[in-house]
Amino acid sequence: MTSSEVAAREVLRYPHPSLKQRCEPIAPGAELDRVARDLLDTMRAFPGCVGLAAPQVDELVRVIVVDVSEHKKATTSHGLLVLANPVVVETSGDELGREGCLSIPDLTANVRRATSIRVEALTPAGENVAIEAEGFEARALLHELDHLDGILFLDRVASRADLFARKRYA
Amino acid sequence: MSVAAVRSFVLTATGRDRPGIVAAVTRVLLDHGVNLEDAEMAILRGHFAIVLVLSVPDELGEAQLREELEAVGRDLPLEAVTLSAVERLAVESPEPTHAISVYGADRPGIVHGVAEALARHEVNVVDLSTRVVGDDPIYLMLLEVTLPPSLDTAALDELLERVGRELGVDVSARALDRDVL
Repeated sequence: MTSSEVAAREVLRYPHPSLKQRCEPIAPGAELDRVARDLLDTMRAFPGCVGLAAPQVDELVRVIVVDVSEHKKATTSHGLLVLANPVVVETSGDELGREGCLSIPDLTANVRRATSIRVEALTPAGENVAIEAEGFEARALLHELDHLDGILFLDRVASRADLFARKRYA
Repeated sequence: MSVAAVRSFVLTATGRDRPGIVAAVTRVLLDHGVNLEDAEMAILRGHFAIVLVLSVPDELGEAQLREELEAVGRDLPLEAVTLSAVERLAVESPEPTHAISVYGADRPGIVHGVAEALARHEVNVVDLSTRVVGDDPIYLMLLEVTLPPSLDTAALDELLERVGRELGVDVSARALDRDVL
């Protein structure tokens, strides 16, 4: 086995029940390492994908990956973020922005999110980190964080004018 | 002293979507000095649907207006045109207080189940739209509603949670914040 071997997992689609569950906290260790690697490999398998949450690959633990560094809308980027037990501790501002989701491939929607956030989390190595993110990176983090509580972007659409059908990219 | 009397009508029309439907229908209205008040128009699964409230000068013959609208319907063609005299109401629409998302695997009875539960608690639906999307279809319904004073957000959440469980769909609501300038 080589380190370049990837193990992209199947991405669950709504209405799979795992997408509506509240996920459990996870401690550093072999399980966290495995989930983090699977999430990363799966995210990398979808060009343009900027984030993924553990329940999307049927792991009901509080782990997300986000990487907006290649995205043209990003104003801040911390590169690849692999976060366990992330918690939003501060938010400010709000704006509408377009979101899609691999688990709901046929729709996108304008969703209102904070423009500036501070997230505290654990890295897979067991370090506590605090991330300050803005704009698109903040949006990606908040979208993935919602998944850990079974919340999909459809739960945050304010009106039908904000909803759009789309061709699948997945 | 005399005040020019006006009457109100509701006009509905649907037709297979194509450019020119709105232009053709409103041409007739303009030619007769009919005033468009509130209007909603949207494409529903390939059919363009128009609902609008008109104010019509009293001297205009209803029969003549109907006839010309029906002629437009034949020419375009439209699938249906109706013109109904209605009571003239000045009231503003109730301000929505909450947005509700309902979604789940497509099955019969989702709209009815949610609407009936809301009606039972005097919740007024002010906007509702639904979409069925995907090969493995997901049914999505978005509503804007006005809660009666007797119901608060927590009670709405509880009510929707129960309805969602009964119907096997996911339901969530949030208060609509009004931007204050």
